[in-house]
Amino acid sequence: MTLTLTLRTEPPARVLAAQLIPERLRGLTASAVAALNLRSGGERPAVGDLFDVSEEGTEDEALVLAGDLRRFDDVGARMSSGRIVVHGDVGAWAGAEMAGGVLQIFGDAGARLGSAYPGARAGMTGGEIVVSGDAGEEAGAGMRRGLVAVGGRTGSGAGLRMLAGTVVALGGIGAEAGLGNRRGSLVSGRPLEPLPAYAFATRFQPPALRLQLLRVRELGLAVPDAMLSASWARWSGDLTELGRGEILVFEDEEPEP
Amino acid sequence: MSVYVLGETRVDDTFAEAFPMRFARLVITAATDAWAQEAARSLTGFATSVIGCKCEAAIERPLEAEHTPDGRPGIAVLLFAMDREGVAKRVLERVGQCVMTCPTTACFDGLPGGERAVALGSSLRYFGDGFQASKVIAGQRFWRIPVMEGEFLVSESVGVGRGVGGGNLVIGAGDATAALAAAQAATDAMRGEGVALPFPGGIVRSGSKVGALRSKSMPASTNHQLAPTLRAQIGDTLVPDGVGALFEIVIDGVSEEAVREAMRRGLHAGAGAGATHVTAANFGGKLGEFQFPLSELRDPP
Repeated sequence: MTLTLTLRTEPPARVLAAQLIPERLRGLTASAVAALNLRSGGERPAVGDLFDVSEEGTEDEALVLAGDLRRFDDVGARMSSGRIVVHGDVGAWAGAEMAGGVLQIFGDAGARLGSAYPGARAGMTGGEIVVSGDAGEEAGAGMRRGLVAVGGRTGSGAGLRMLAGTVVALGGIGAEAGLGNRRGSLVSGRPLEPLPAYAFATRFQPPALRLQLLRVRELGLAVPDAMLSASWARWSGDLTELGRGEILVFEDEEPEP
Repeated sequence: MSVYVLGETRVDDTFAEAFPMRFARLVITAATDAWAQEAARSLTGFATSVIGCKCEAAIERPLEAEHTPDGRPGIAVLLFAMDREGVAKRVLERVGQCVMTCPTTACFDGLPGGERAVALGSSLRYFGDGFQASKVIAGQRFWRIPVMEGEFLVSESVGVGRGVGGGNLVIGAGDATAALAAAQAATDAMRGEGVALPFPGGIVRSGSKVGALRSKSMPASTNHQLAPTLRAQIGDTLVPDGVGALFEIVIDGVSEEAVREAMRRGLHAGAGAGATHVTAANFGGKLGEFQFPLSELRDPP
């Protein structure tokens, strides 16, 4: 079943959307979903007050959110299964501490995409997040497992204190990426200046990245063919931490000999 | 023995006897088709018969780049053993020695969702001496093992399926040249999805019987009843008049159906390419769980 929530009007205050995840909505009819209350400032607006809710009997189980959701935080946060498709921009903490399933955002995402909540060591522990546009600061912070893939750029501090997992930004990883990274992979489709705690290792064709990029393409991002066959620069770090993480950088042009 | 006639070919009304086996399918990819072939040939080398090689393996089919997990040219390989543990050991040894070592390759599970998986990358990773890393991609875990070329990527585990081993056809003609031509036409028609022909070129010239007449320690010995040079000196020869040479084609398949249909294709292709006699090897029905009567293969594929 596909459940579609179309935003009617922009809410007056920020809304926490963490309730709107497939495992919580499974088995509910459209009217039952419309009657759920969300948190927004001091208010508890019903889903039906904010969205038009409709359901459609499809084989694929998906939750579709449509509209300008920049005031909605925690979209897909802590989801562990199923699929959420967003047509529009979302606020901060989308896919935070996600454990499984797929979150596809056709738009931009705010800060702390797929990251850990304050105080938590581990952020995302599984699943896949795909954002067609840009993502804000500290995407994938504290990530332990899973994939965050952004078609555009990530803001500064991506992969902060990352444990493992992969953050891909086809349009380039922002500044100060991978501080405190232990085993994670940061993948930048544009050249970048890694932090001093990263050391250049080599240029090579990473076979696992190829598989990941094909998966990202399957999930709806336009991955250029050149990225699949190119050599990537590997920088190892954070060397002040475990040092087993990496930043892979796509270098479109051959380096000077 | 009663026979039926297929064009110019006499077909014995007998049956091939086959056994339940376990199998894995590996998908080997590489930068070029040629390197994938190198790895696949190496992996399937010395894997003709479980009696002597502990497993039976063969190239199943080449895969176009768009049908492989990493979008590079690939080869699907089937490996059969008597039980799951056997599959696990042989796959691990052979991928470690023949695929990991081969330039540019990666190795994937070609049977995801197989009934029970056995370890591959999760054991091979120790070659990485602590420098290995893993990635979960679309729900499946892979191991990245650092090697001198860069990285070897391998699936954490491979699925094991229930297959059928030991289906066979025996193809004879007036002389060895004609019999081989017919057998080759048969193997060409038989190869395909779900089928492995583990012998060299798919063809065995030294078909065997269980045990031996003169030695208790031999697990198998020559099928003397089908050796043309002995037909005048033994009383129980099975070489028909006018037949000067015979070749056996052994078929391992992913299902009874896969083996039966491969036999059907082989029988008709062999008959159309000069085979004068086709029969099949069995153990009187005492050993194998599966029987494939040649009489059921009369209708062309």
